Amino acid sequence: MNSMTLAWRNVWRNSRRTLAAVAATSLGLWAMIIYSGMVAGYLDRMERQVLDVEMGDIQVHHPEYLRSPSLYHRVDRVDEHLAALDEAGLPAAPRLLGSGLGAAGENSAGISLVGVDPERDARVSEVHARMAEGQWLDAAAPQEVVVGRRLAQMLGLSVGGELLVLSQAADGSMANDLYAVRGILGGVSEAVDRGGVYMLDQAFRELMVVPEGAHQLIVRRGPERSLEQAAARARELLPDQDVETWRELKPTLASMLDSAEGAVYMMFFIVYAAIAIVILNAMLMAVFERVREFGVLKAIGVSPGGVLRLIYLETLIQTGLAVAVGVLLALPANLYLTTEGLDLSGTVEGLSMMGSTMDTLWISQVTVATYVGPVVAMVVIVLLAVTYPALRAAFIKPITAMRHQ
Amino acid sequence: MPEYARRPFLLGAGAALALLAGPGWAHAAERPAKDSPEFPAWVMNQIDDMHRGDSSHGVMSMTVKTEHWTRSLTMESWSKGEDYSLVRILAPKKEKGTATLEAGEDLFTYLAKTGRTVKVSGAMMGSAWMGSHFTNNDLVKSSRLADAYTMALTKEGVLHGVPQYVFTLTAKPDAPVVWGTIEVTVEQATLRPTREIFYDEEGEAVRAMQFADYRTVGDRTFAGTLTVRPLDGSGEYTRVTYDSIEFDVKLPDSTFTVQHLKSL
Repeated sequence: MNSMTLAWRNVWRNSRRTLAAVAATSLGLWAMIIYSGMVAGYLDRMERQVLDVEMGDIQVHHPEYLRSPSLYHRVDRVDEHLAALDEAGLPAAPRLLGSGLGAAGENSAGISLVGVDPERDARVSEVHARMAEGQWLDAAAPQEVVVGRRLAQMLGLSVGGELLVLSQAADGSMANDLYAVRGILGGVSEAVDRGGVYMLDQAFRELMVVPEGAHQLIVRRGPERSLEQAAARARELLPDQDVETWRELKPTLASMLDSAEGAVYMMFFIVYAAIAIVILNAMLMAVFERVREFGVLKAIGVSPGGVLRLIYLETLIQTGLAVAVGVLLALPANLYLTTEGLDLSGTVEGLSMMGSTMDTLWISQVTVATYVGPVVAMVVIVLLAVTYPALRAAFIKPITAMRHQ
Repeated sequence: MPEYARRPFLLGAGAALALLAGPGWAHAAERPAKDSPEFPAWVMNQIDDMHRGDSSHGVMSMTVKTEHWTRSLTMESWSKGEDYSLVRILAPKKEKGTATLEAGEDLFTYLAKTGRTVKVSGAMMGSAWMGSHFTNNDLVKSSRLADAYTMALTKEGVLHGVPQYVFTLTAKPDAPVVWGTIEVTVEQATLRPTREIFYDEEGEAVRAMQFADYRTVGDRTFAGTLTVRPLDGSGEYTRVTYDSIEFDVKLPDSTFTVQHLKSL
């Protein structure tokens, strides 16, 4: 009788215990597969939101701007800089930034003005695809603006409504003009939601009397470049400007995203430690029950390695079953979570995390790694857990074992 | 520009609008002796009253110099009592017709370019008025010095060759004011203010206001030129000068309404 058959039969000698161990293991595995998919989806969306919609990978400012965001601290020779960045394969777009007062009817609120070149901006930002209502800016409609969703709410604005913008222009005069609301943005960031008013760069320049320069260049790292490499290249190209990565601009968010991975490992550790204890216990029981049997095996000439292999085989059979069950159950669950997602909108209206707005729909991100990681980690942990009972069985003394009651 | 309310900016506050608000030198009760305990309060009340007249109508120019630009505005102003005033820009052309209306605690801005009226409130109260170093709060909020501060005559000296008294005003603990201390310098002979220095709660001098060019129209004497400088070494200032002014003019109440703003 080969050891595989032997192991298979042994596994089913106490079928209830085996089923309990398999159930516990597959449940743990299932949970971890689902969990890693959800965390991956969450982190990815968070990062995409921050990078694609909110701020880009890298931002360039006048050296003084971040310390004192003033209308006068502008990056000059913008066209030259953009050309250099383009040539280096770093997509970039300029933005003009200002603040003022927005009024509609009887209501007014503080606003942040953002002047964009829609054609160029589309290369670096997905904000144009985040419209909740209406449409994104069009170069042909200079008197139309796109506003944040909370701002629209506060001012009672809807698409087609009229927004009065009031500020102080760069020449000291009172900047004021009327704009039609072309679109209302979905969640972008806390600041944009509450006060963002996007307008064409030409409209901004006219309103604020800013003939040249830009307050911010948004730069993407482009494919095949790490954030650090891209930032280093941008610093090389723009030595006189302040070049910062999103990690430097939003350090708390960056470290939160980093530590989220640590949290996943922590979760793995806790769940798998519990599984390991269940397995350890089950196998110890199995070994104690079969002390005499192992004694006989040893006595008829089975080597310690043979016994060891037998026990490992038994464990692998159990684990294999658990993996099969866990993965099979995880497949439909992940299918649901990646396509339908969890809708959190019932509990909260718009999530926001450190100034970044999150969608209320939580969609998992599942790749092969989502399955492989938890499975491999579990097999390793189970094999480790079973080592002690296996060694006990392998090095049992035949005489004492056979006398064992 | 600080964004919080500048309630106690009396003379500063009063400054822009109160100045045009019919600054009249009211010779009320008799001047007490210098050493009498009533003296400081009496002087402060005089100063307060200087900026509170019955009604006025005038033309003034305002020059604002900042790090990035310098500009001059010509403005026409009307005022009635303490709480009603209206200022309208006559020049430059681009902003002609833009006006600010103060009616009680409310402040409205009429924008000639867009033909809209905006009620100034919230965060905008702390922002610059017409691009100057005055905030909107400065225009609306003013309380009497004697109510919000404890005052003492702390120094006598000579400034610009003229003997002066210096009063130090310290905010009362529960007074809703931003300035911790105001130092008021007045001419000994006339008791006209020459200079005021505003200190924040940390005791740092933040803003100075100079009164100059005293003139008399009818029976009123007032500072014809008023200069505000932030004391941050920037060299920025706002200067308001009266080109002409008349007092005790008849102004219907409807002058100070939003409807009137629009019809100007």
